Amino acid sequence: MSSATARPLVLVIGGALVLLAAGCASAEQPQVERVATVFEDPSADASTRCDLLLPTAREQLEQDEQSSCVEAINSLPLDGGDVTGIEVWGGDAQVRLGQDTVFLSKTPGGWRVAAAACTPRTERPYDCQLEAS
Amino acid sequence: MTTQSRGFLRDNSLSLAFGALFLLTLVGQALSGLADYNAQQVAQGLATVSLGDYVTSSTFGVDVMENWQSEYLQFFLFIYATVWLIQLGSTESKPVGEEGKESDEDQKLGRHTEPSSPVWAKVGGWRTALYSRSLGTLMGVLFLLTWAASAVAGWAAYNSEQLADREDPVSWLGYLGEADFWNRSFQNWQSEMLAVGSMAVFSVYLRQRGSAESKPVGESHAATGSSG
Repeated sequence: MSSATARPLVLVIGGALVLLAAGCASAEQPQVERVATVFEDPSADASTRCDLLLPTAREQLEQDEQSSCVEAINSLPLDGGDVTGIEVWGGDAQVRLGQDTVFLSKTPGGWRVAAAACTPRTERPYDCQLEAS
Repeated sequence: MTTQSRGFLRDNSLSLAFGALFLLTLVGQALSGLADYNAQQVAQGLATVSLGDYVTSSTFGVDVMENWQSEYLQFFLFIYATVWLIQLGSTESKPVGEEGKESDEDQKLGRHTEPSSPVWAKVGGWRTALYSRSLGTLMGVLFLLTWAASAVAGWAAYNSEQLADREDPVSWLGYLGEADFWNRSFQNWQSEMLAVGSMAVFSVYLRQRGSAESKPVGESHAATGSSG
């Protein structure tokens, strides 16, 4: 089989699959962005922000701070900023904001914040002050 | 050798049996994979998914495609290799001295075609040239398609894991350079090459009475290419 025949086939099929994957992911981006921006908004209601946390992340926060989430959330360095990038892959998402990076997971109730106040590290996972256990 | 039909089921029992086994094992993979995936979800405090969501996920997709691509690569290489390479005494090999594309008489082409020869074997020209390479070509095309599919599905699954591990996702070209892609490819390829090599050697010395993959029990070890 000649490479002249094979290469276009691979590109067409691969391109179609990439577009399909991108299309599915792009449909989730508005919801992901909304959850991340509300969570990172210090002026938003603390209870609303806490409800956007993954249950295990909320439990970890309350355990670490030895207080309720509503009392503890405003002490976190959730500086927010403008959204500079959104990645959605399956049931996981990442939103990069001007002052923070947030990781989200999809639940039956919608997207929820799994980790926030994250700082990138070279060739290592982000160091997140708020993270689901 | 009889060519009389004995009914659809008996005439196609081999393909029907393996077709059924394929479907059963694919269902088994889906169910066991779903259970494994949901166990991991629960362990991470995340919601479980339905069977429908799982079989349309990149996780399931890459697990299926990475196996299919290696099977088609195996057959592609084996079909072409057995044109030129010999294994003395093996049922998987042509006899010594018959290396290469063989004569038109041996291949029943040109003036040596028979009334029952396939149409594209008799017509000549590009059709016969293409038909003469159709088996290996199809395997090669299927390999490239399934390898591309596994690359895309693997990319999506890899990036999902990256985010779950609090790392940045990568581009598709970046994924092609990742160890994950090549590890998946090589771990599947090595088993396929082992299987072909094993069969080529085992069939020299071992027998399975009645199998098309075995020489007759009383056939000598040196007899090459015979089966039954």
